Amino acid sequence: MTSDLESYGVSVVALSKDTTEEAAVHKERDALGLMLLSDPKLEVIRQYGVEHHKAFGFHTTGFIFFGIPLDVRPSFQTMAIPTSLLVDEEGTIVWIDQSDDYRLRSDNSLVFDAVRSAFPTAS
Amino acid sequence: MLRQIDGVNVDFVALGLALGSFVATMGTWVVYFSKVPGGAVPARPVGSVILQVLAILLAVGAVGWNLQATGSVHAVVILPALLGVGMAVFFLWLLTLRKTPIGDLRVAVGDQLLAFEAVTSEGIPFRSEDLLGKRTLLKFFRGGW
Repeated sequence: MTSDLESYGVSVVALSKDTTEEAAVHKERDALGLMLLSDPKLEVIRQYGVEHHKAFGFHTTGFIFFGIPLDVRPSFQTMAIPTSLLVDEEGTIVWIDQSDDYRLRSDNSLVFDAVRSAFPTAS
Repeated sequence: MLRQIDGVNVDFVALGLALGSFVATMGTWVVYFSKVPGGAVPARPVGSVILQVLAILLAVGAVGWNLQATGSVHAVVILPALLGVGMAVFFLWLLTLRKTPIGDLRVAVGDQLLAFEAVTSEGIPFRSEDLLGKRTLLKFFRGGW
């Protein structure tokens, strides 16, 4: 997905409420080739109005055994609503997709349709 | 189908029903959560829900059958039946939480990004101005787990 987007000159930046340390663990564990941003005080999440107050989620402290997180704790935490914003070189938002079901993510084909229509010329 | 275990009569039909309950729900958890990392969970997990209901019915059936056959419920029946019911109810409860409170989004298509600051996973300060001149897919996500 990330490398396919690169052919359109689109880089992925993903922001969550995770602390820097949690984000670093997540990035290394899942070998993520994208930039992860930390917003533990939910400042950006609230600024953009994508706050999911007291959502139920799972959280790992980073105790990982052969790639499997063993210390997974359920809790109610405030976190971001899964939201995708496609932004052009001038900082203008050209496409938005938001999930009304947190289990579901922006469909890859939808993302690519948006990328192709926003950036007809691959860079 | 009675057998003696620790001097107590265990009904093997009840045990089979209880184990069936456990397998139905445990199997759903494994299959369903294996699809989470790839973002491939079904929008309408009908099969998973049917299996959870089946797991609850099997567990209730196991306890009922055991009571009727022996007048008591043996621990080897209770344990998988309780696990089956517990995990099935937890799964169904998780599904009820799926809706997100969308509608408060402060930006629209055509708007400029709202200027923001954050920190990268490497601990480096980040400003939204750093994105100027680049095409970006900015994703808000729930966090790693």
